[in-house]
Amino acid sequence: MPTVKEGTLSRRAVLKRGAATAALGALILGRPGPYIADAQAATPTLRLLMWQPYAIKETIAAFEDKFKAKFAPTFFDGNSEAFNKLKVGGTRDFDMVMADGFWPRLYFRQGLTKGLDYGKIPNMSGVFADFHPDKFVLLADEEGKNNVAAPNCWGGYGITINSSMIAKEDVGSIDLLLNSKYTGHFSTNSRFEENIALMGILAATKLGTKDGPRPDGKPFNPYQLTDDELAETKRLLIEQKKLLLTRYQDYDALDRLMRAKSVWAAPEFAESYRKLTVLRKDGKIDFDVEHVLKPKEGGLGWVDTWMVSADADSERTELAHAWINLFLEKENYVRVVRSTGYGGVVDVRSLMTEDEIALYFQNRSAEASQLHMFDQPSSPEKWERIWSDVEAS
Amino acid sequence: MTRIPPLLLLAGPGVLFILVTLLLPLLAIFMFSFWRTESYELYPDWNLDNYRVLFTEAAYRTFLLRSLIGALVTSLLCLLYAWPVAYFIARHGGRYRLLLVLLLAAPFFTGVILRIAALQGIFGPGGLINMALGIFGLPPIAALMYTPLAATIGHVYLFVPFMVTAIYLSLVNFNFDLLETAKINGAGPWRAFIEVTWPLNWIGTAIGLALVFIPCLASAVTPRFLGGPSATSFGMSLGQQFGETGTWALGSAMGVVLFAFSLLVLAVMGFTVNLKRSGFTGMGAR
Repeated sequence: MPTVKEGTLSRRAVLKRGAATAALGALILGRPGPYIADAQAATPTLRLLMWQPYAIKETIAAFEDKFKAKFAPTFFDGNSEAFNKLKVGGTRDFDMVMADGFWPRLYFRQGLTKGLDYGKIPNMSGVFADFHPDKFVLLADEEGKNNVAAPNCWGGYGITINSSMIAKEDVGSIDLLLNSKYTGHFSTNSRFEENIALMGILAATKLGTKDGPRPDGKPFNPYQLTDDELAETKRLLIEQKKLLLTRYQDYDALDRLMRAKSVWAAPEFAESYRKLTVLRKDGKIDFDVEHVLKPKEGGLGWVDTWMVSADADSERTELAHAWINLFLEKENYVRVVRSTGYGGVVDVRSLMTEDEIALYFQNRSAEASQLHMFDQPSSPEKWERIWSDVEAS
Repeated sequence: MTRIPPLLLLAGPGVLFILVTLLLPLLAIFMFSFWRTESYELYPDWNLDNYRVLFTEAAYRTFLLRSLIGALVTSLLCLLYAWPVAYFIARHGGRYRLLLVLLLAAPFFTGVILRIAALQGIFGPGGLINMALGIFGLPPIAALMYTPLAATIGHVYLFVPFMVTAIYLSLVNFNFDLLETAKINGAGPWRAFIEVTWPLNWIGTAIGLALVFIPCLASAVTPRFLGGPSATSFGMSLGQQFGETGTWALGSAMGVVLFAFSLLVLAVMGFTVNLKRSGFTGMGAR
């Protein structure tokens, strides 16, 4: 596994390395590299396919200023959407892409991304040890030879609860989301993957198959459910649908619904939980909020990562590393967690208040490894059929 | 040197544009519908499996039925609303007629998401209606919160300007003196409408119905934001095939079915139009 090296990455270094690689390319190919040939096109552009919350204007401005480069983001919602975009549209349109869970390995296996050089990301030294490839192995390929992604933020898909409305004894299990006592006061997101995977954990628990031997010989993974478990999951999701007020489309909608006390419990990425906790502290809402990160049956988790596209040229590869490095710099990173509300992979406790440390899971990084990481469904076709049956029921 | 015919020069760019932006994507969709998707990969294994799934699996039939009923109800509601409005503008709008019609298009100055968000702000649990009810100690109206009814109201709000415009454009070409003739011949206002105004403006009405029915049939955003968990439409499911689930082949087959239904609706409407009785295009004079 490559080790993290100390040092800094300056614009000069980026340009120097880019120019050297271009010169080498020119010698090999017999023609000059594109950014040397076209001196008019002086501003290099870093094209990113990314989640919108990470496009933080101050960090982008600092990057553009330091590296005299243009930051050109395109936003997506779910992993499969971004993957499809690169798979179908090719990797030429993007230099960087984001993903979480098992997806970085899939990107790398499919030749859509290339390995990262952690030596060019000195700020990895500030990242909690739990999020280095030796502990969080999904950041490297299966053989552990290449680092395929750099960590960004982490979290779970836990259940946020209005604890003034939900009885204490009902909290702590995924079963809460099927409790008819609270009919019409639940909401889930509209993405089929999380809905099926979370309910799949409960289904396997109810069937007693979760802790038994698995067909693939590996530990239980809610993205690799058997046909019986999928059938039970479908049954539970259909049962749950009758209890839902709606499937929220974004976090603003969930915030509104929870603030209006229309929704009392919702599985989510802890974004609403954090906003509501701050509001409660400021006295702007009159109910208590809690978040169950890992229900007793098990929970889903994610670690968002940065990857470099397989087709990124040498200059853009350097820029991509420079972006990751700048992003992970403590002064910038504290802004990331405050702005996104996600758990931080960088240790920024020295820059935070006690409340913030608790809110952004700064003392809970070890829990990430206890969650089932977001993965590719075993059969998207089969899962699609189940989700359609649920939606049509 | 060979001389290019002027007609070709004139029509060429337009034909090329339609070919590239409309026909080629349609052909690609048609082709993919006979392929297979597996784990986000498209395989050119020619088969009819996607169509078999669409016509045998109950879920997709439910989505299609929901969308057809939703589009039909929306079209009828738009028709009922649009006729009096268009009639009033055409008959009594005077020199403000054009301005009044343009005012109907005012909501289009904003994006569709914004308009739907505004509706959420009115119908939602913490929205204007339910807040007002709460002030008077009344319970909220559950039927307006994330239900198919809320989605239908949203559709009517979004599509009614199309219907009004189509009927209005028909009515401005209509000779209202004919109603006086009908009256002189003993016809009451309702009979005059049924026997004179309605048939002579049917083509505008039919265009309005098509302009509402077809986009409503494919609608995905409105039911997604307003409809709640039981309003998943054919368009929503179709969108999911190309996004989250990555099952493009099935999505393509859904696209072909949707296109076929739209063509069918246009054909049915085309058959009902009698150009000789139409006051819309002037062709009736031939």
